Amino acid sequence: MRYERQILMKEIGEEGQNTLKKSKVTVIGAGGLASPVLTYLACAGVGTITLIDYDTVSDSNLNRQFLYHEKDMGMNRAELAGEVLNSLNSQITINPVSERIDEENIGKIINGADVVIDCVDNVETRLIVNRECIKQDIPLVEGGVYGFYGFVMSIKQDFPCLECIGYGNTKLKRPGPVLGAVVGVIGSLQAVECIKILLGLDEVLYGKLLNYDGLLVSFDLVELQKNDLCEVHGLLKD
Amino acid sequence: MIEVRLFATFREGRQKITFLEAGQFQTAAQVIDYFHIPHEEVAICLINGRHSKLDASVKNEDVLALFPPVGGG
Repeated sequence: MRYERQILMKEIGEEGQNTLKKSKVTVIGAGGLASPVLTYLACAGVGTITLIDYDTVSDSNLNRQFLYHEKDMGMNRAELAGEVLNSLNSQITINPVSERIDEENIGKIINGADVVIDCVDNVETRLIVNRECIKQDIPLVEGGVYGFYGFVMSIKQDFPCLECIGYGNTKLKRPGPVLGAVVGVIGSLQAVECIKILLGLDEVLYGKLLNYDGLLVSFDLVELQKNDLCEVHGLLKD
Repeated sequence: MIEVRLFATFREGRQKITFLEAGQFQTAAQVIDYFHIPHEEVAICLINGRHSKLDASVKNEDVLALFPPVGGG
């Protein structure tokens, strides 16, 4: 049986597997972080996965984006990722969307999702996704990397968001240094977070920033506080 | 004491956690200067888990967490 090994888990079982089958997850970006995220969600049997990416495959993607291969140069990433995931699990629905996220389309793209996972590589899109998830009260799993370092953070309306912690001040160097295996660690953690949220399990990273240090081989948790001056949470009061 | 927790590239050549005498530092900026970290490289500054500007006051038993930009994918 396909999902036998995870149905054996007391936290999942037949009921949890059925929950995953009924779940809808939207993944923003189909690059490095999204490669493990999408793969593990499809393998786990998440019933409906919508993925958004506007880009095409280039050779600089291949150190971390294992959904794609050398023969795929120049091809549309959203469509390709959709094909790969369909071949991985034909029992689930994959909705590839080839669009660039902006303030106009984000509301429609994430509407109806049970969880959104942010797998992009720029601050601007992260802030747009963060704002809309808070507005629509959809749980958001954030993840980011830099070289040997990475973080994961889960967000929802009653907890601190990216604006709360001042993430808007982040000025990323482009292109940024990224080790594929580190992206694999962070993307895998995002997938675990997503599945835990879908199953309604405790100890999710709401209000917590989990930091991974691949050089010191350490995980550090930072407890976060909501910011009374947060513009995004402030919009909810209007 | 003020507990200072550095993350990601800020740890290179520095300790992950440092305890500083509270009386010697009035602001987060002064702590950042102690570590010779350029202010513009600080993406996130948290005092006790709360977003703070660099000129925010620090006091005994505060935990200051400093992050460089991290957000690739």
